Amino acid sequence: MSWSMISDLLISAVRMATPLLFVALAELYSERAGLVNIGLDGIMAFGSLVGFLVCYWTGNPFLGVLCGALGGVLVNMVYAFCTVTLAGQQIVYGMALNIFAPALASFIYRVVFGVSSTLAQATLMKTISIPVLKDIPFLGKLLFDQTPMVYAVYLLVIVTMVYFNRTKSGLNYKAVGEYPKAAETMGINVIRTKYIACIICGFLAGMGGAYLTTCYVNTYSDGIVAGRGFIALAAVIFGRWSASGVLLACLLFGFFDALQLRLQVGTNLLPYQLLQMIPYLMTLIALTIFGSKIAGPKSKGKPYYREER
Amino acid sequence: MQKTKTLNILIPILSILLAFIIGMLIILLLGKNPVEAIGYLMKGAFGSKTNLANTVVRSMPLIFTGLCTCFAYRCGVFNLGGEGQFLAGSMAAITVTLLIGHEGWWVTIVAVLAGTIAGGFWGLLPGILKTWRGLNEMITTIMFNYVATLFMGFLYTTALREGSVPQTAPVPDATKIGRIISDLRITWGIVIAVVLGFAIWYFLFYTSKGFQLRAVGFNPIASSYNGLSVKKYMIAAFVVSGAVAGLGGAADILGTQFRLISGYGGGYGFDGVAIALIAQLHPLATVAVAYFFAVLRVGSTTMQVGTGVPTSVIDIIQALVIIFAVAGSSMLYLPKVKTFITNIFEKKEVK
Repeated sequence: MSWSMISDLLISAVRMATPLLFVALAELYSERAGLVNIGLDGIMAFGSLVGFLVCYWTGNPFLGVLCGALGGVLVNMVYAFCTVTLAGQQIVYGMALNIFAPALASFIYRVVFGVSSTLAQATLMKTISIPVLKDIPFLGKLLFDQTPMVYAVYLLVIVTMVYFNRTKSGLNYKAVGEYPKAAETMGINVIRTKYIACIICGFLAGMGGAYLTTCYVNTYSDGIVAGRGFIALAAVIFGRWSASGVLLACLLFGFFDALQLRLQVGTNLLPYQLLQMIPYLMTLIALTIFGSKIAGPKSKGKPYYREER
Repeated sequence: MQKTKTLNILIPILSILLAFIIGMLIILLLGKNPVEAIGYLMKGAFGSKTNLANTVVRSMPLIFTGLCTCFAYRCGVFNLGGEGQFLAGSMAAITVTLLIGHEGWWVTIVAVLAGTIAGGFWGLLPGILKTWRGLNEMITTIMFNYVATLFMGFLYTTALREGSVPQTAPVPDATKIGRIISDLRITWGIVIAVVLGFAIWYFLFYTSKGFQLRAVGFNPIASSYNGLSVKKYMIAAFVVSGAVAGLGGAADILGTQFRLISGYGGGYGFDGVAIALIAQLHPLATVAVAYFFAVLRVGSTTMQVGTGVPTSVIDIIQALVIIFAVAGSSMLYLPKVKTFITNIFEKKEVK
């Protein structure tokens, strides 16, 4: 394998890791407030459709991403209302989102383009290279010659890191996920924090979905998300509920995704379906080796009843 | 106690009605006539003997995947891997059938057994990962679903491919699971499915092992203090629920589909989860809800042809039913609502 191939592989790894990273950060914000949301796949599917449609109509991928994110918020509000206000089971509602949102997306797509449509195509987001920095050998092309979404997500990792570890508000936020009753006694509005968490989660997961249709491929098709929401869930566990850990986990999973694509093009050793298994198998292996018995936020998954003693 | 039982039946029915009203509103928003659409749906499902038979045929795999989710969740494990386990069953059944090379009823039995074992094995893997490494079964079962789907792709495009079209050879006629009535497509598979539903219901609610399994699902800590081996029950729940789905896959490939092709089995797993949740994890209700969704799915194709309303409106209705049904039941646990209900019933008793 030559030097340029390795460089290509890493660049594509960064590209594949970006949607995962958006969605994994979405889950991180959700779980830090005690809400396990397994509906990420569904939110992504809806975000990818909205992103695609807006991009198709306006020709503006940035507007597409923004609307995809807002679409994600909208869908996640169903989850927020049912799990926070009604204190329903989080897993069940996450699952309901996984069934509801892709169905809604596929329905809207068919209504817009007709039942038997030809493939509609939209414009892709262009890469913006940062002058001077992009000329650094190897690293320049890897880090500073990407779409703005890639820069945005790395900025977001840093912001998240600082927020959860260095700010009072971030610590309060974490308290809600650890022990909501104590947080409430300290004057933190638990219900409001949980709703904010759901808004952030929906926004970021919707963005991750929109990334797929505005930066990765220029069409929408059912099943485009392909389990990325669940891989992102695994990345949160693997990254031990910290922003930096999640970053590493997503880069690793992105690398395996890029690797299987590379191997499909480059070799005829194995049938392509077996190569496509690599990201899923690696997620399983990574979790088996490193993901054991780490609990994460203490109250995650549990409903919170404000009036209950 | 009687009152909560009534509510438990009432809530899903109300949810279905409410979801349908919203579904009809969506159709109305499309500028189509909802009454006409429902008419086409009914005609597609019950319009003729063949259509009616099709609803029964369509319900069979859904009953199996629904029971798969239902059984596992009763033991507190959320098995989302019904799809992978179903496919494992289909793949094992057809591979064994084609490898044996003979045909006959004994091949059918061997293939069904192989499918059941393969499904159980595909359920065992996430079971081991959960009990041994503490891994979240929702993530692992989904990953195993993708692996199974991709492996199926490998089988029909490469390993077991027949001819130029990417598909496997069909199951030989003598190995197919027989039809109950010769001119309808309904096979004995549906009988197995319904009997299995009753068997699981009996096991869960009328045997001590079933009681213990539910106890583990209800409160694993209390169960382990009572000397139950929580891990053993969880593994057993995974294996049995996987085997149920695998049996379904075998029955489907040997009775209905006959060969693996692209897109085979897609969505059965999540449909099964939806069905079990709407049925409030009751095995008999699962069978009924599975039939109900089969009716919707068969009917919606006629509806799409007749009125141009996309079939995915049915998926939306299905998801809305879950959202309403579960919201309804979780509302019952809210402290305010709890007191409200007890107050109503106490007043009635005073009268």
